[in-house]
Amino acid sequence: MSIPRNNPPMNRFKVLVALLLLVSGGFVAAQADSITVQARLIHGTSKEQKGKMEVPAAIKKKLARVFKWMHYCQLNSRQLNITDATTKTTKLSKTTSIEVTNRKNDKIAVSLYSNGKMLVQKTQTLRPGSYMVLAGNTGTDSAWFIVLSKSK
Amino acid sequence: MNENETRLKIQALVDGELTGREAEELRARLESDGGLRALHARLTAVRGLMAGAELPRTLPESGDFHWSQISQAIGHGEREARRLAKPALGANWLLRWVMPLAGVACLVLVLSLQQTTMPDLNILLSGDHELEFTADEIDVMTFNTGDDAMSIVWLDYSIDLQQDSLQLWLD
Repeated sequence: MSIPRNNPPMNRFKVLVALLLLVSGGFVAAQADSITVQARLIHGTSKEQKGKMEVPAAIKKKLARVFKWMHYCQLNSRQLNITDATTKTTKLSKTTSIEVTNRKNDKIAVSLYSNGKMLVQKTQTLRPGSYMVLAGNTGTDSAWFIVLSKSK
Repeated sequence: MNENETRLKIQALVDGELTGREAEELRARLESDGGLRALHARLTAVRGLMAGAELPRTLPESGDFHWSQISQAIGHGEREARRLAKPALGANWLLRWVMPLAGVACLVLVLSLQQTTMPDLNILLSGDHELEFTADEIDVMTFNTGDDAMSIVWLDYSIDLQQDSLQLWLD
């Protein structure tokens, strides 16, 4: 008894196409870059706040060069691994969250939400070593900062 | 009636210009007055002689000369008005091409000046930065540091820095 072979060239073509799709899909997946974004919620004050974690020296130096506050303590830190054209959300405080979208080619879009309401959205190229800062006053003589940086 | 008037009347009678009653009265006088009859006969003879001897004179204008002159005057006025209203060939070309081009050039100039005369706030703004707001009541200032290593969006907004206790526990 023999297995019927119907149109064998057509079958070979289908197998070839399937292989090509598989290979190209894997290639595309390998090409899809993912970025790692570090988001920090920082409280800037004039007086030193004991028992609270200071921000890394590089960030403190950059902030202190622009703003009047001398002490910057890190209240929260989140690391987001975001693949191309995808969005990740993280909560930085009880009422504040950010939504980060990887827009490819080092470009990210960051949306800041407070109590579920979007306050602002900033889109820019963020390269390793540079920072995107969203900031504002608090009620007292201090300020809040959300500092986003990209890991190498 | 003096003699001259009488002669003119006889001349008018010869020319057939007198009305019936006047003509009758004058004919009655002619029968009684030999001198007047002789004048009438002479004038009639002269008229007979001149009847075929006069040169034909045609009027340069039509019989309705008066209205013709008015019509001509109106036509002349209209032509003059058209001549004044119609620009010369050069001016026509100017209006058709140069004026619109000059308008477009002015528009481009104004737009380019508006783009180049932005106030210098001594703040660096990179070209690839985009900012979008949803809360209109918040005052926002954005700037980059001099080395372009840090972009800052400053919001006139206070966020709650209190941490989520559940999240802290999970961390």
